[in-house]
Amino acid sequence: MSLVIAWVLCLAAGIALWLALNPRRGPGWCAAALGYGGVFGMLLAAGAAALAARADTAHALWRAGPLLLGVAIAGALVWRRGRRPESVYEEQNENKWISVLLGVAVASLAWRGWTALREILLRPTYPWDAWDAWAVKSKTWVLLGHYAPFVPIEDWLRHPGRELYTSIAWGYPSTLAWMQVWFASAAGGWIEPLVNLPWFVLWIGLLLAHYGQWRALGIGRQPALLGTYALGSLPLLDVHVALAGYADLWVAALLGFAVLAWLRWRLHGERSQLLLAFGCALLLPLLKLEGAVWLALFALTVLYGMLPRRRRRMGFGLAAVALVLIAAVSGLALPLPGLGWVGIGRDYVSVPVIGQLHLAWHGAAFAGVLNSLFVQPNWHLLWWIAPVIVVWRWRQLRAADVTRQLGAFLLAGLAFLLFLFVFTDAASFAESYTAVNRLLMHLVPPLISLLMLLLRDVSWGPGRGGTGPQSAAHSPQA
Amino acid sequence: MNFRFRALVCAIAIAIIWICALGWAAGLRWNTPLWPAERLVLTARNFHTVMGAGVEDGDALQVGAVGDDGNALQALRLGPVAAKDLPILRYRFHDFPRTLELSLLFRRADAPDDAQVITIPWPGEGWRTVDLRNVPEWHGDITEIGFVEYATAQLVPPSVAFQPFRFDRAELVSPSWRGGMAALSTAWFAYVPWALLSVSALAPDRATAGTSSPLPVVLPAAALSVLAASVILGWSRRRALRRAGMAVAVLWVLLDVRWLRDFGSRHALTESLYAGKSWDERQRLLPEQDLLAAADGIRGWLATQPPGQRILLDADSKYAFLRLIYLLLPQNIGLLGLTGATPVPAGSLIVLYSSSQWTYDAAQRRLRGAGRTYAVDTLFENESVRLYRVLQ
Repeated sequence: MSLVIAWVLCLAAGIALWLALNPRRGPGWCAAALGYGGVFGMLLAAGAAALAARADTAHALWRAGPLLLGVAIAGALVWRRGRRPESVYEEQNENKWISVLLGVAVASLAWRGWTALREILLRPTYPWDAWDAWAVKSKTWVLLGHYAPFVPIEDWLRHPGRELYTSIAWGYPSTLAWMQVWFASAAGGWIEPLVNLPWFVLWIGLLLAHYGQWRALGIGRQPALLGTYALGSLPLLDVHVALAGYADLWVAALLGFAVLAWLRWRLHGERSQLLLAFGCALLLPLLKLEGAVWLALFALTVLYGMLPRRRRRMGFGLAAVALVLIAAVSGLALPLPGLGWVGIGRDYVSVPVIGQLHLAWHGAAFAGVLNSLFVQPNWHLLWWIAPVIVVWRWRQLRAADVTRQLGAFLLAGLAFLLFLFVFTDAASFAESYTAVNRLLMHLVPPLISLLMLLLRDVSWGPGRGGTGPQSAAHSPQA
Repeated sequence: MNFRFRALVCAIAIAIIWICALGWAAGLRWNTPLWPAERLVLTARNFHTVMGAGVEDGDALQVGAVGDDGNALQALRLGPVAAKDLPILRYRFHDFPRTLELSLLFRRADAPDDAQVITIPWPGEGWRTVDLRNVPEWHGDITEIGFVEYATAQLVPPSVAFQPFRFDRAELVSPSWRGGMAALSTAWFAYVPWALLSVSALAPDRATAGTSSPLPVVLPAAALSVLAASVILGWSRRRALRRAGMAVAVLWVLLDVRWLRDFGSRHALTESLYAGKSWDERQRLLPEQDLLAAADGIRGWLATQPPGQRILLDADSKYAFLRLIYLLLPQNIGLLGLTGATPVPAGSLIVLYSSSQWTYDAAQRRLRGAGRTYAVDTLFENESVRLYRVLQ
C-alpha cells in the first residue's frame, strides 16, 4: 500500500506541475503531461526526500510526502484556473496499412516494456556501476536509517570520530540516490527490484514525452508514432531499462526533454516551455557529472538563439573574449557548473572530480568509437541514417534557425565526445567500450528530434500526408 | 528491354549482391566448395568424461553431474588433425540448460601441456556452427578436443546452474559455403547472455568466439540492392528515395526482431533463475556466492564488535572488493588501496579478501603491502578472509 501511495503521490505531483506550467491543450498534450510529469514526479520525490528525510530515511515517504501532496494540489489548482479548451485537430488521410504497421510497432514496444519490467522485478541489481557507484549512497542511507555524508577517503581517514562515509563515487550527484531512498522507504526496506522500478517508468515517460512534444511541434500522429518506435526500439536504451541502475538514461531523457521544450518555445513562443527547458537542463549536472557539459552547451545554444540575429556574431565574439579573459585570469581554467574549474594546458585537461587527462591521439579509441556507432548492434541503423538524412535534408536544416541551432548543438556534443574519447586518457573507455555508447546515448533523443523535424515535411506518396494542419502552421521559421 | 526482363536482371543483380556480401562476411571465396570436402565426425559416446559424470546414451553422451569445481568436461584424443584443413566446428546438444556456458577446449601438438579454451555460442536445440579460422589459437595439429560446461560467469549462481543434458555429436569439417552460411547464422543469431558490459555495449558484451553483428554487412548490401534496382529499373529520384526509405524501415524492423529475440532469450534466463522466488531468496541467489559467503562471515564477526567501526578493505580482484563493499553495506568501508600516505586511524579494521598483495609478519605484528606497513593485531583468518585491527 505504501508503495502505491509513493507512486501516486510522485506521479500526481509531477503531472500537476507539468499541467500547471502547460495549461494549453493540443495534440499530444496528454502524452506529454504523462511523460514529463512522470519523470518530474520521480525527481520531485528525490528532492523532497533530500529536503525532509535526512534524519529518518526509513520514513521518507511520510516525511517528504506532504511536500509532494502540496505540489500536486497547488499544481492542480493552478491548472484548473488556467486550463483552456482542447484545440480542435483533425488528422488527414492516415493510411490504414501504415496505421496497422504502427500498431504492430507499438505492440513491440509494449512487449519489450513488459520484458524489461519483468527483468527489473526479478533480478537483483546487476550492472557494475549500479551497485559500485549509483546505489551505494542510497543503500547506505536506507540501511542506516538516516543520511550520512560521503567524502573523499583522505577526509574520511582524517576524521575517524565523525559519521562520514566514503566511496569511489563519493562525488557523484545524489539525486537518484534520494529517489531510491523514497521508493525504498515505501517498500519497507532495501528491496532492489522496487527501488529500480523508476527506470521502467522513466522509459515510458521518455517515449510518451517525445511523442507528445513531437505532436505539439506539428508532427503528424503516424510520423510521431514512428519516431517513438525508433527511439524505444534502440537496443541500448532497452538494456538500460532492463538492467536498471545507471544514470545515463536519466540524462538522455532530461536532455531530450530540455531540447523538446526549447523547440516548442522557439516554434510556438510558449514561455513556460523555455522555463521547462532550463529546468530540465539545470537538472542534468544533478543527475550525472557529464550533465554539466550538456548544460553548458545547451545554455550556449539557447542564449545564442535568444539574441537578435544581427547581434549574434557580436554576442559570440563577446562570449569568446570573456572565456579567454576568464581563462587568462584564472590560469587557463574555465568554470563548468557541477564540475568546478576545468584547467586547460598545452597537453592536458584537468577536471577536479576526474583528474588530469593528457592529450594525445588514440587511434584504437577512434576505431572503438566507429565500431560503437556503425558496427555493434546498440543503435540499429540510427548512426548510419542520421548523416544521410542530414545531407539529404541539408537545405531544410539550413533554412530554419531552430534546426540549424539544434544541429550545431548536436555537432558540438559529438565533437566533445570525439575529443574526449580519441584525444584524452578517456580513450581507454572507448577501446574497452565501457563508456562511449553510454555517453552517446545522452545525445540520442535530441538527435531523433532533429531527424523528426527534418523529415516532417517529407511526403512519401500521393495523399499520404499524415501531418496535421499544424505542420504547415508551425514550420520552423522562427 | 521490357519490364519483365529488367525485373529478372534486377533480381539476379540483387541476388549476386547478397551472395557476395554474405560470402564476404563468412570469409568465403568464389571457389570455395558448396559442400565440405572433408568431415571428421566426433561421436559423443567416444568422448571420455574428465570432469563431472556422464554415461553413454546410444551414440550420445548423457552428462548427469559437474565436478567439484562446478565444471563438466568431455574430451576426445585425436590422431593429429591439421587445424587449417578442418576449421569449421559443428556441435549439437539436447536440453542444454540456459544457465550454463559452453567452451571448446583443444590441445595442439606443438604445446601438448597447454589446453586452449574459448567460449563458443550456447548450443540451444539443433546444430550450431563456429568458424575457427578467426581464432588465433586454432593452428598447427590438433591432438585433443573437448567441451567444457560451467555456470555462466558473473551471471548464474553455480549452486543452481547445472541440469542434466545430452551431448549428441560434434563434427570438424572443411570450409564450404554450407558451413560458412551456417557459421554466419550462428554468429548473427546465437543467444548471448547478459554480461556486466551489456549496459555499455551489446557486442562484444561477452567474449564469445564466432559471434558478430550483421549491421556492417546487411546495410551496405541493402543500399547496393536499392541502387542496383534503381539503375536497372530506371526509377525516378523520388521513387528511388521512397524505396530506399522503405528498405531502411524493413531493415530496421528486421534488426529489431533479431534484437527482440535476443532480449527475450536473455530474459528467459532471468525467469528461469528468479521467477517464483521471494525477494529474500533472490537476493541470496547471486552469481558470486563465494563473495556472499565471505560477506556473511565478515558481517557475523563484525556483529560481535562495537558498532561504527571503520573498515579498510582490499582484494586482488577489483570486482571482488567493490562487490564486497556493496554486500557489506551499511558497514563503513573504505578502500585500503586508496589510502596512500594518509595515516590510518588506530582501531580501524583491515579486511583482506583473497589478497596476495598484503603479507602479515606474525613476529613483528606488522601487515605489509603496497609499500606501506601497519602495526596490527590479527582478529580472524580463514581460507579467503583475513581481518586485522590497526594499532597505535
